[in-house]
Amino acid sequence: MVDEKRLRDEVKKTISRDDVKYVVGYEKGTYGFQATPCFAYKPEDADKFIFSPLCVHNLAVFPMLEEKPPLRKGEEPDTRKIGVVVKGCDSRAIVQIIQEKGLDREKVVIIGIPCTGVIDPKKIKDKFPGHIKNVEVKDEDDKFIITVDGKTQKIPKEELMPDKCKTCEYPTPVLYDILIGKEIKSTKKEGYDEVASFEKKSLKDRWDYWEKQFEKCIRCYACRNACPLCYCKECMVDQLNPQWVRRSVNLSENTAWNLLRAFHLAGRCIGCGQCERACPMDIPLMKLNKKIEKEIKEMFEYIPGINAEEKPLLAMFKPDDPEEFIL
Amino acid sequence: MKDKFEPNIIGFLCNWCSYAGADLAGTSRIQYPPNLKVIRVMCSGRVNPIFVINALQQGADGVLIGGCHPGDCHYERGNYLARRRMAILKKLLEYTGIDPNRVRMTWVSAAEGNKFAEVVKEVTEDIRKLGPMQHFKRENKW
Repeated sequence: MVDEKRLRDEVKKTISRDDVKYVVGYEKGTYGFQATPCFAYKPEDADKFIFSPLCVHNLAVFPMLEEKPPLRKGEEPDTRKIGVVVKGCDSRAIVQIIQEKGLDREKVVIIGIPCTGVIDPKKIKDKFPGHIKNVEVKDEDDKFIITVDGKTQKIPKEELMPDKCKTCEYPTPVLYDILIGKEIKSTKKEGYDEVASFEKKSLKDRWDYWEKQFEKCIRCYACRNACPLCYCKECMVDQLNPQWVRRSVNLSENTAWNLLRAFHLAGRCIGCGQCERACPMDIPLMKLNKKIEKEIKEMFEYIPGINAEEKPLLAMFKPDDPEEFIL
Repeated sequence: MKDKFEPNIIGFLCNWCSYAGADLAGTSRIQYPPNLKVIRVMCSGRVNPIFVINALQQGADGVLIGGCHPGDCHYERGNYLARRRMAILKKLLEYTGIDPNRVRMTWVSAAEGNKFAEVVKEVTEDIRKLGPMQHFKRENKW
């Protein structure tokens, strides 16, 4: 259980600093099982900050979303820092962005929270259907204590956690300035069981599966917008000249988009699962991401988002990289 | 006459080695299948995976990428970077159910006209066996 009072105090302290512009954190949502990202510009704003297993969002997107309009004559650029409240997986996204030099380490204040697993919004919606208010969720060892309209229920974590939390190896933030609570050692291990079982299917079965999935895609690009690592100024699908992927929604273009999205995250995806959470059509995008994660771990012994000093995977090479596929 | 499937293969050949190798195969009058349509790139490292997927979308049945031998790259490291990229792309295609043999990579130096002809023969035969690429072809061509 995270000490929310300590979190608010630390946010207050951070926002009171002169060199901090704002802090991004979570607040209670308006209805149902929701927590929404919120911003604190003044010390008073920190009182609404919460942290519960409902805080699924990866707030590492926000420092990258900030608009930098051209400066007026004589105007000084705003060099103040941004504070971000992060969980274990979110901190890896920040490490990865820093590694790619997308963000300066000096420009962020990282408030880390050791996380014991969040609740998958899609799974909890199935369990508690309808328009629900008055919800409280707490976290106890291996159970979530959920109180709906005064009735308390204990549900094992396994049932409600997203798949990424079941195999999370980094519950404690990798990089932080302030840590709320104690560090947690992970006992879980990423075995890529789902990927391995899918690999055993025949080529035809695999294509039949993905054909169905990609046909569902409506190309809303929610996966891209929720992803902390998709921060290109102009995405290749928005490009008009040359237009690599057309805007029509059909199997061909959807496949191209989904394959290229997965490829562009090769060696960068830290598995926070935001793409899958944001997907309105329930396409299992993490299955693609995990496959690439598994392959690069096997082929290049590389794990993204751990070491900010290392070079990005596709910007370096070793002379003895695997090349059995080359004629 | 029976309609026989003739594979359509796009070749991205690097200017300094593979393209010169293809040229040597031509000037030495070595026979190789005419199914390969060559696009010259300055380096195999220039080949963006988007090119490969776009080629497959637009009716190519296979893609061949030719680069210099490791260590011989004109730009010192372009082919090493391409090798990493293509290793991942092939795994990704295989995972989504597209035969990874449709995307091939080869090292051909400027002196290996024979090897170039051999490679093109092998790739063409492989793709002939796989049949036309029908997974995610673009419907309307313009």
